[in-house]
Amino acid sequence: MVKLRMQITKERDIRFISHLEYVRTLERAIRRAQLPAAYSEGFNPHMKFSLASALGVGVVSYAEFMEIELTEPMKPEEAVKKLSASLPSGIRIVAADAVESETDSLMSQAGFASYRITLPYSDNLNDVVEAFNVAVILPFKKLAHKRKGGVKEIDVKFYIPCITAVQQEGKTVLTFDCRITHEGSMKAVDLLNVLNEHWGITLPIEKADIERLALYRTDAKGNKKLMLGENIYKAGQGEEKYDLRE
Amino acid sequence: MEKELPIDILSSVQKPVRYTGGEFGSIIKSATETEVFIALAFPDVYEVGMSYLGFQILYYLLNKKQGIAAERVYAPWIDIESKMRENGIPLCTLETGRKLSECDIVGFTLQYELSYTNILNMLNFGGIPLLAIERNEDDPFVIVGGPCVYNPEPLADFFDLAIIGEGDEVLIELMECYKNWKKNGRKGGRLGFLHLAIQIKGIYVPSFYMAVYKENGTISAVKPIDDLAPSEVNKRVISNLNEIDFPDTTVVPFGKIVHDRIMLEVFRGCTRGCRFCHAGMIYRPVRERKPEILKELGRKLIASTGYNEISLVSLSTADYSCLTTLIHDMVDEFKDKRVSVSLPSLRIDSFCVDIAREVQAVRKSGLTFAPEAGSQKMRNVINKGVTEDDLINAVGAAFSSGWSSVKLYFMLGLPEETDDDVLAIADLVKKVQQKYFQVTGRRGAKITVSVSSFVPKPYTAFQWVGQDDIKILRHKQFLLKDALKIKNVTFQYHDAKTSVIEAVFARGDRRLGKALLLAWKKGARFDGWNDCFSYERWLESIREAGLDIDFYAARIREKNEVFPWEHIQPGIERNFLWREWEKAKKRQLTQDCRRGTCNGCGVCQKLGVNIIDWKSGEAW
Repeated sequence: MVKLRMQITKERDIRFISHLEYVRTLERAIRRAQLPAAYSEGFNPHMKFSLASALGVGVVSYAEFMEIELTEPMKPEEAVKKLSASLPSGIRIVAADAVESETDSLMSQAGFASYRITLPYSDNLNDVVEAFNVAVILPFKKLAHKRKGGVKEIDVKFYIPCITAVQQEGKTVLTFDCRITHEGSMKAVDLLNVLNEHWGITLPIEKADIERLALYRTDAKGNKKLMLGENIYKAGQGEEKYDLRE
Repeated sequence: MEKELPIDILSSVQKPVRYTGGEFGSIIKSATETEVFIALAFPDVYEVGMSYLGFQILYYLLNKKQGIAAERVYAPWIDIESKMRENGIPLCTLETGRKLSECDIVGFTLQYELSYTNILNMLNFGGIPLLAIERNEDDPFVIVGGPCVYNPEPLADFFDLAIIGEGDEVLIELMECYKNWKKNGRKGGRLGFLHLAIQIKGIYVPSFYMAVYKENGTISAVKPIDDLAPSEVNKRVISNLNEIDFPDTTVVPFGKIVHDRIMLEVFRGCTRGCRFCHAGMIYRPVRERKPEILKELGRKLIASTGYNEISLVSLSTADYSCLTTLIHDMVDEFKDKRVSVSLPSLRIDSFCVDIAREVQAVRKSGLTFAPEAGSQKMRNVINKGVTEDDLINAVGAAFSSGWSSVKLYFMLGLPEETDDDVLAIADLVKKVQQKYFQVTGRRGAKITVSVSSFVPKPYTAFQWVGQDDIKILRHKQFLLKDALKIKNVTFQYHDAKTSVIEAVFARGDRRLGKALLLAWKKGARFDGWNDCFSYERWLESIREAGLDIDFYAARIREKNEVFPWEHIQPGIERNFLWREWEKAKKRQLTQDCRRGTCNGCGVCQKLGVNIIDWKSGEAW
């Protein structure tokens, strides 16, 4: 058995589909493409398919990673060709590789996500950014469960050590990396809540255009590594201005 | 796109995926290749509208034609509507974001009466004048079709023309007609187009007719007032489904919709002759598709959509002549693809339980039966040719096959019904429980009893009857509720108020347009949704329009009363319906004409069509 792994996108036109809807869409596309996907046993067989890290509704991504277990080997090139034709516009395949099915799941390997947030906001943010970056601990109460309520206190700096801001033409662009652990991560949008709460500013959160630019794993020394292996089949561009293979 | 929906709006509403389109299989044509642009408008939310097979068929057929672009639009839920209106964003189509007022034609489907206020709201939201007479040369033509079109009179003020009957062919003809009119420099203006359109069979233009009323408020006549308008418009019907195109692909939604599966239309029409059933009358005669064609379509649809379930749909799929072999073949062929086969409803007999067992091979689901009434007397009144033994045998077969829960559908408020008949429903439910004990030796079968209130519909044997008063309907609901306070029985029923308003519009006339407009102005929309429906608002609007609810809903109509809808013809003989009503009162049954003798409903003769049944591999 082999696992096919792909870096795919979730672009602007479909940014408002939920994680679950994205999963269903991919499963249907895989069925249309007639990839030899493996299924679980039992009354309600489900496709052996997973995504590396859940993305919030409204967030654009150039770095979603999916894995499908196949019942027979297939060249990544061929799978990419078949699947591409079956995807709705708004999902593209950036790269793919094939590994043994025993390889650790991508989900368990993801260590960092890079984000860019664009906001219509023109007040100078230099002091806030500097204060954020020098802070040692920044406590924040994140909503632990959307419907049930309840909060969980986290240290923002553990997840986001550093941010950069570029401001021009009435827009503010924030870029940063956010840590992903087995116990969870922090929502990109919550960074804005943190900035508003701690520094009393009024970033227009509801108008934030959030993009996930990349996802990385980390090696034993904590260095960033690409998610897929060395011998990947590069199918297309991720986010144009952002080189995946820096 | 007129004005793109901004992030802050989309991120603050429920299910934003309803408004953003881009689904696999959606079709986008450029303005340069498009000569006529039609919006297929469904007056309810996305998940409901996307589940409507009729529009899936029309979307496919229309877009297949060169020069025609068909796009979809659904009723925006109230949360986004207010935000869009605040920001000056009009209602647009999903595919290219075209404002409704900039389409050539906007076509609404009339699926249920309680969606009518949504039609008004969508027109207004899309920038189209509500009243047909207020539309000018730049405005689109508003057209309607669907089952409620056999009495479109309450909407007569609001639409320009209606398509009566099956749209597969006539809608294309209408589009061609529009293209020609446009090529000829829109000769004669709007009226010029309507004059061309009315020469197509199956097209009804309400402004070409005038309703004359008697002093007692009933209709004296509905007269044509245009030389080209026929005295009656007969429905269009496809004589042979095997000779027309059916979609081999559909739009595949991102999110869950109501019918989240492939819908394969097995046949049209139903001649079981249940006397309350509107669909059973207006879609006659029965015309089956050949099993080979169905299998081929099934294969193509599975490959093109990626769905993992295919439902064999029709008004009564268990009656399909080759069902056993069809299901067997499909289950067998599709199981390797992990596709299950399902049926939307089951007939009450053990044959159907066997079928259900087979389709369960891939996935398990609950079983639903519709005895419709509790007593044999009532089942005879409605011509539901089912006995208590049939039901008990069917559930017995289900229980011995491992099912432990069933859902039973009934109606309350049927003509001739007494309290004893209502209580008979509870008795029947108890017998079903006893059967479970008898079959399994255990107690605790879960039974869900779902009860709706009867609404008399035009072109049925019950078109003359008065609907039970709301007090009586409530009394019956509570009577049954008390009688069903039984362990493991769940009782579901709808608010009777919505059924009253549904009844008003089902058999209403043109004068109700005023009430509709008033209700919409007072904020009515999504009346089919309990949390949006306001009975008081409707009472007020109908009263302010100078009309009386009881006149439309509760009044018993005279044998010879002229009805507001009779110039629109599904081909059913009025005499046949009256005979059925007389037989109902005598509790007499009428047999299915499908393989028996003709009962003289008149459809085949009037429309020049025949029953098509593949029982012996040949058309009968």
